[in-house]
Amino acid sequence: MNAHIGDDAALYALGALDDAERAAVDAHVAGCAACAGLLGEAERDATRLFACEPQHHVAPPARVRVQSTWTRWRATVSAVAAILIVGFLPSLYLWQQNRSMNAAMNAQAAAMHRLASASFRSADFSGRRARVMYARDGSWYVVIVRDARRALRVVWMHDGNAIDLGAAVPHGNVAMLYLPHSHVMHRLALMEGGRVVAEAQLAYESKSQP
Amino acid sequence: MTARAATLPPPGFGPLLRRSGGSVQVSSADESLEEGFAAHRRWAFDAAYRRYFPLLYSSAYNVLGNAEDARDCVHDALARVWRSPHAYTRARGAVRSFLVVCVRNEAISRVRASGRRTRLAERLAAEPHEHDELRITDTLERDRVRAALAALPPEQRTPLELAYYGGKTHTEISRELDAPLGTVKSRIAIGLRKLAAALGEP
Ligand SMILES: [Zn+2]
Repeated sequence: MNAHIGDDAALYALGALDDAERAAVDAHVAGCAACAGLLGEAERDATRLFACEPQHHVAPPARVRVQSTWTRWRATVSAVAAILIVGFLPSLYLWQQNRSMNAAMNAQAAAMHRLASASFRSADFSGRRARVMYARDGSWYVVIVRDARRALRVVWMHDGNAIDLGAAVPHGNVAMLYLPHSHVMHRLALMEGGRVVAEAQLAYESKSQP
Repeated sequence: MTARAATLPPPGFGPLLRRSGGSVQVSSADESLEEGFAAHRRWAFDAAYRRYFPLLYSSAYNVLGNAEDARDCVHDALARVWRSPHAYTRARGAVRSFLVVCVRNEAISRVRASGRRTRLAERLAAEPHEHDELRITDTLERDRVRAALAALPPEQRTPLELAYYGGKTHTEISRELDAPLGTVKSRIAIGLRKLAAALGEP
């Protein structure tokens, strides 16, 4: 673990390490100036190569957005919340007759509250602009799908089975499903018309860690 | 001194300016940028972002193949750098190549996660039909890289090409070439050093 990085410097600079190997190099060079220098040289070499590639032009945004991905997703979540609240307000008059809708509204409010207050993990779905944000212990999940035109089924891929968890129904062009009480799930998928269109792998902290 | 003052960048364009005891000093731009970056100064971060954005963006685009993903990738990579204040130390050398490699690695991770091929791999596969898309300077540069690669012995060139154009990990390359991991690593390392020397300063 504490070995000097050696030839891994070149692999790091060329992008030939996987995420875990790269993290190990990062951790080592943070405390080893010799290896940091070696890595810097490899990065300079690789950049000479990258600088020969075709140039693409775009105006940079005026300011740096130093924000987490969550901050960007939060705008989406707030938009959903606004739509839900506006959409559901008339139903307040009917709430006694429509307790399920009232429950849905409460659930959405609870999801907002969860995301705003608790620390959580997140994973992107491959194949769709979608993301799941979930509790570190897998006790709750919020699935958000951008650019959703139709309702999508959210399913848990488990032991070769696809277990239906519910529908993410679009409001505007964003669909959302909140699962307040759950257990640990490692693979989620989105289905449209009976077909899996996107999948996400969820990671949890290993129990063996101190 | 007046001639010098006239060349000062506008206020807010951070790194070239350093305030000391009320007077503005012009210091070696790159040195102060590196120092500021190592000290996790916001101005250095902003300045590096402005200065290197075109290169970072192109670098991401060449892996991801579209503007929106490229922009997202640059932002995510830079946000991550900003959130880890100890990622960059002075021993690392130039901030420019540090950031380029950060963005590049972020882009490659994304491509791997999505199971797609890199833009470079697609371009390679699409040839020779894609020529008109390339500008002349790009073609010249590409030929320069080709020539430098061709000058390498095949045992160094092949793993290097699999890493660079193919976006493959060293584990995949060693499996594909049926060569020991250590051998593959050292050949890529030697190959990269020679290639950079042949390409010269960017
Ligand atoms: Zn070391």
